[in-house]
Amino acid sequence: MVVQAAGLTIHALDRVDLQRFAQAREVSARAFGVWRTMLLAPPERRRPILEEVDLPPGLSASLDREAAARDASGPPPPHLARLIRLEALLQGPHRFRPRELVVGGRSDRMLISLRLPDGEWLNLTLRVTPPRPWHSETFLVAFLLMTLTAIALVVWATRRLTRPVRELAEAADRLGRDVNSPPLPEAGPREVATAAHAFNTMAERIRRFVSDRTLMLAAISHDLRTPITRMRLRAEFVEDEEIRARMLADLVEMEAMVNASLAFARDDQAAEASVPLDLVALLRTVLDEATDAAAARGEASPPVDYAGPERLTLRARPLALKRAIGNLVQNALLHGGSARVRIEPPSGGTLRLVISDDGPGIPEESLEAVFQPFRRLEDSRNRETGGTGLGLPIARNILRGHGGDVVLANRPGGGLDAIVTLPA
Amino acid sequence: MDPAPHILIVDDDREIRDLLGRFLERQGLRVSLARDAREARKLWPLGRYHLVVLDLMLPGESGLDFARWLRTQSDVPIVMLTAMGEETDRIVGLEIGADDYVAKPFNPRELLARIRAVLRRANGEGDRAREPPPKAIRFAGWTLEPARRRLLDPQGAEVTLTGGEYELLTVLVERANRVLTRDMLMDLLHGRQAGPFDRAIDVAVSRLRRKLEDDGRNPSLIKTVRGGGYVLAATVERAG
Repeated sequence: MVVQAAGLTIHALDRVDLQRFAQAREVSARAFGVWRTMLLAPPERRRPILEEVDLPPGLSASLDREAAARDASGPPPPHLARLIRLEALLQGPHRFRPRELVVGGRSDRMLISLRLPDGEWLNLTLRVTPPRPWHSETFLVAFLLMTLTAIALVVWATRRLTRPVRELAEAADRLGRDVNSPPLPEAGPREVATAAHAFNTMAERIRRFVSDRTLMLAAISHDLRTPITRMRLRAEFVEDEEIRARMLADLVEMEAMVNASLAFARDDQAAEASVPLDLVALLRTVLDEATDAAAARGEASPPVDYAGPERLTLRARPLALKRAIGNLVQNALLHGGSARVRIEPPSGGTLRLVISDDGPGIPEESLEAVFQPFRRLEDSRNRETGGTGLGLPIARNILRGHGGDVVLANRPGGGLDAIVTLPA
Repeated sequence: MDPAPHILIVDDDREIRDLLGRFLERQGLRVSLARDAREARKLWPLGRYHLVVLDLMLPGESGLDFARWLRTQSDVPIVMLTAMGEETDRIVGLEIGADDYVAKPFNPRELLARIRAVLRRANGEGDRAREPPPKAIRFAGWTLEPARRRLLDPQGAEVTLTGGEYELLTVLVERANRVLTRDMLMDLLHGRQAGPFDRAIDVAVSRLRRKLEDDGRNPSLIKTVRGGGYVLAATVERAG
């Protein structure tokens, strides 16, 4: 804006000069023109002609008996004297020379009196017309045009400069959610390309770090399966019923841990295709399996129920989503003794699935901490209720991989809600 | 059929192989052991096997390749041992024509139950030539994909089933428009007689009806037959 103002001022000053110059030429040419016309016209035609002549601003003419310049209070103002070249009049052809020439000034005016051959005087008055640099029909249009162009240029340039920063922020955000997000293009100005390159190198290191640990965890879990299989077979040859039952129970627990670690370590869900599926059927399957598992253990049916639509189709990875919801239902049954599930109708492109239990809930400050792998609350450390410590992290990983999330919340009346959000 | 069915076990882990052999022998089965596909090929012509327990992760020739070869030789039932998470191998195995699978680390008793179930089914089918399972079975707009063990609704959305529901639906679809009593269903599914208080079948049927959007009070797809039985009333289409 400052630059534009300066530019406009220069333009205006230029215009003043130009205007002055043009005015001077015009005034002087027209003054001589009027003089010539008066000279050539018969005396009785002079007045009507003078009345018809269209004079430029700053110049007026009249025919009088007296020379108006004689009453002048002083010499003509110098800037006006420069405007008109009286020498040219006196040096011109003989018949155009005035009989007498009187020049004078009064305040900001210049008076020139020229005597015609018959004795009449042509009085010319020159006034300074102040230059009006800001006034022109084209000026407004030009000004608007320039302003708009300048605004457009400024916006374009700012965007161009800040775009790489915005892209970097977006890439960092993506990396936070998905380690395998695509790298930034290393293009553009040198500084931008360097920053993008540094970012990509960092992302690559994080990726390698994560995949190393994942591979290690997967390898350990995988290799544990052979000895577990052997021990299960060996347990079948233990004669003592009770010892055998206990060994098998330990093995079941070990296997659950291995499977959970494997599920957490390897990105199973990346390999599974996303397909349309009925969320309600999936949910009923999870609840029915929980009921069946309790029956197989010889326990009473756990209090589970479902409220919501009869069908709800969405795109998801069936095995992964079933594992996520299964983990949450198991958690509710394990720590809360019941699992009541409801699906709220989708609104704003998101659907909510709430799994409620009637347990003691979780201290407010631990509501997020339980999503850390292997993080268990003190009271769940005993064998009775302690899970693998991976159920919630796996569930959250899977749901976030679906573009959703899960959070825990204590209900005011008691009990815990696991609130799942999924894009509908 | 021999009083003691003969099982061929192919697994590269010596301990698992030997222990599994001893376990199955104690359960009254005859057992032969092979370390890998090469040894299994050598053993194959030497005996008349009723079932093959095949580990898919074998050194050298893979379990899947051996299963393919085996299918060119015989219709012998195959139960695969797979690693958890290797869904693709499992699906390919079932598509080749394996009869069932158990994920490692398996529960020996569960493996035994599967072996018995597969033997019973193979026996029931008698000498009828066994065809590879169809890729898709369509009935009343619904699609059952045996290799993937999944059900698709008329719009193509996957409808998740529990293991029990899947088995029940398969049995009903395979015997569509035939009345199956509770006893027959229990026998086909679990290999035991239904007790007077055993309502497991009824529970599974009512769950299936709900998932198939079949009105429980006035069912049109899985109909209740007077006297205690069920029938799937639909035209069934098989697609290769």
